[in-house]
Amino acid sequence: MSVPTRWEVAAGTGGRAGMWRPPGGGRAWATVWVLAVAWSVGGWLIAEGSVINASGWSRFAEFFRAALTPQLSGEFLARTGAAALSTLSYAVLGTLLAVVVGLVVGVLVSETWWATGTGARTRRRARRAGWLLTRLGLALPRGVHEAVWALLLLSVLGRDPLVGVLAIAIPFGAITAKVYAEIIDESARGPYEALRAAGAGRAVALLYAVLPIAWPELVSYAFYRFECAVRSAVVLGMVGAGGLGFELVLSFSGSRHAEVWTLIYTIVVIGAVVERWGAGLRRADGVRRSGISAVAALGLLLAALVHLGPDLSRVVSSRTAELLAGLMAEMVPPGLPEGGWVRLLEEALVTLQMSLVAGTMAAVAAVAVAFVAARGGTTPAHRSAGMLARWLLLLTRSLPPPVWALLFLFLLLPGPLPGALALGVYNFGILGRLCAEVVENIDRRPHDHLVATGAPAVSAFGYAIVPQAGGRFLAYGLYRWEVAIRETVVVGIVGAGGLGRLLEDQRVAFDLDAMAGTVLALIALCALVDMISTAVRRTRR
Amino acid sequence: MSCEPVVPRSREVGQDDAGIALRVQGVSVAYGNRLALDGVDLSVRRGERVALVGPSGAGKSTLLGLGSGTVVPTQGRLEVLGVDPWAVSPGALRRLRARIGSVHQQLHLVGPLPVVHNVNAGRLGTWGRLRALRSLVRPLQVDEARMALDRVGIGPYLHVRTDRLSGGEQQRVALARLLVQDPELVLADEPVASLDPARAEEVMSLLCGLLEQPAGHRRTLVVSLHDFDLAVRHCDRVVALRQGRVVLDVPVEEVDEGTRARIYDLAPDT
Repeated sequence: MSVPTRWEVAAGTGGRAGMWRPPGGGRAWATVWVLAVAWSVGGWLIAEGSVINASGWSRFAEFFRAALTPQLSGEFLARTGAAALSTLSYAVLGTLLAVVVGLVVGVLVSETWWATGTGARTRRRARRAGWLLTRLGLALPRGVHEAVWALLLLSVLGRDPLVGVLAIAIPFGAITAKVYAEIIDESARGPYEALRAAGAGRAVALLYAVLPIAWPELVSYAFYRFECAVRSAVVLGMVGAGGLGFELVLSFSGSRHAEVWTLIYTIVVIGAVVERWGAGLRRADGVRRSGISAVAALGLLLAALVHLGPDLSRVVSSRTAELLAGLMAEMVPPGLPEGGWVRLLEEALVTLQMSLVAGTMAAVAAVAVAFVAARGGTTPAHRSAGMLARWLLLLTRSLPPPVWALLFLFLLLPGPLPGALALGVYNFGILGRLCAEVVENIDRRPHDHLVATGAPAVSAFGYAIVPQAGGRFLAYGLYRWEVAIRETVVVGIVGAGGLGRLLEDQRVAFDLDAMAGTVLALIALCALVDMISTAVRRTRR
Repeated sequence: MSCEPVVPRSREVGQDDAGIALRVQGVSVAYGNRLALDGVDLSVRRGERVALVGPSGAGKSTLLGLGSGTVVPTQGRLEVLGVDPWAVSPGALRRLRARIGSVHQQLHLVGPLPVVHNVNAGRLGTWGRLRALRSLVRPLQVDEARMALDRVGIGPYLHVRTDRLSGGEQQRVALARLLVQDPELVLADEPVASLDPARAEEVMSLLCGLLEQPAGHRRTLVVSLHDFDLAVRHCDRVVALRQGRVVLDVPVEEVDEGTRARIYDLAPDT
């Protein structure tokens, strides 16, 4: 039989051979990554001298002792309940909007839709340019953190519940669109290309060949978004939108540790319930259970609408348009911070370093824990360890980064290190759960085949499980890295440095045009990370 | 039709132990209340090629699972290459499994890995853990892997991602994996069930070719097949199962149209 050469094989499959690949591929990227992390951490330790806050240990211990005696008075519980309902309402309405936006826009920014690898050369280039443009367009809403959106929307819409909902829906819609696009692109291309070859239009082919395959993952991600939205709603509360976050700040600043723990437990319980719901929905094969979920979701939606009573007419009122025009006039053209470009680049570098260190910490720990945390252990010891690991992950991701940052500030002096640690711990919880789900969904048959031919457990794991999980781990890790960049804003607010700190200083000083400049710098960083992430993932295809 | 053996022909169990690759004596396997195998006797000599035939659900896969040490007999005696898989230490079971190759309709290849690693996966039973993991970073014994791929006709694909290959090419990767494993006994469960007749013939010829060893030696093959003609063309002996029992066990020379009809219940009993 005649066999094509290796080059012909590379050119003929997947339709992606024309794309640029970095010299050295994955290994070159890995080397750059390790050097960058070492440089960041080493730089902080040398530059900052002492990083330990020696006087904070006793307060830290005091805070943790209060974990056993949360505030359970009727009055405080009622306040917590009302706050929880507000937070949930923001999350529900924000997620709904975000998922609708994500589904439509996700298709429109996928490589599959743009078919970047097929057609004549000029057409291929045009398509690739189109895809890149839509991708960059998404970076704008995504690069701005919910908290910043809330502050901007506040000055246009005033104190309106819509501020909280839109502050979640805008960036989450963009993130969901990006992830949905990637899920669509990573789904098996065979069926889609078969339908296209048979003359089906892009929309029809996606609907019949990609959506049914990707659907469980899309639903899973929507629920994950809802969980994130709950935490975001907490953070929005911390910057003034009300709800659990607002109560958390009040109790924290009053050193009422028992109340803080009541609120933390509430957040953890809500997170656990939402996660259980999502897991149940993913496992359900029956129409009945999906139906129950749909009814429950509808109930939550109605409760949220009644509780918040958002007034949609305000979005289109002339007063809003006036205020928006005023805001735009103040912010355009964007300005530079005091210290000019040098200061902006310095702070951007700190932000990049913080996100890189946080992402690395989170990824290393998450991958290690994911295999323990994945459901389906066969021994009682494995199952108990899995349960413990899942609780650890739930706890770490239930507390938003600013709360972790406040806790780390008991132990460390303000600076990028506590900020990076806070982001690292929080993202460990999220990434660990995502990776555990990847492990649960892996095809076990190649592994079992190797075991049946005498492979030791470690070898079978290395050959059959790791390669299957690796691509997804990498994709999730890179995506969290980008999210970590955005989140440096909220840890910046508590003094962790970088662009977030700069933004907070500018906000307090009402320096709106410089604020716009800082936001643009954040967006540029996000776009940069997005491009790096695409290039790194391409080395794996 | 009755399920009593049509031509019971269990070969001389107990004689010539060294020459027996697989021995199954009075073995039953139950899944809950259902008996997948019901008092089966079968012994396969080294170098022999045995085809398992019979309708779906007859117990062919269960019988092959016994041979690969993945199915536990509920009762009866089992010996694979002279060892009872369920009476030895985990280490000895692994060493035994390394001597048994399996081929499935699903190829159980790892898609994201380059072909060379999927071929080398055949050696994991004999390689130590460290060696195995080291080879994932920098492939070891690449020349042998390439030779195996050459033998199945896809040598140039050594470094291509496995899921980039067509189904037929992936089938060849699985055969190359079997080749580097160098097993004494090969158990194949419906290896050609989803292929068209021409491709099925090609794969069976390739598989049987790989079983030939120098100096006229042959690896032992037990293969379950739906296609009766393939069984007759490529094997020495046909064993038919129905409802968990051996109902026929004859050399291929003794097979005729009537046998086929009886196995698949195509004609009334004569």
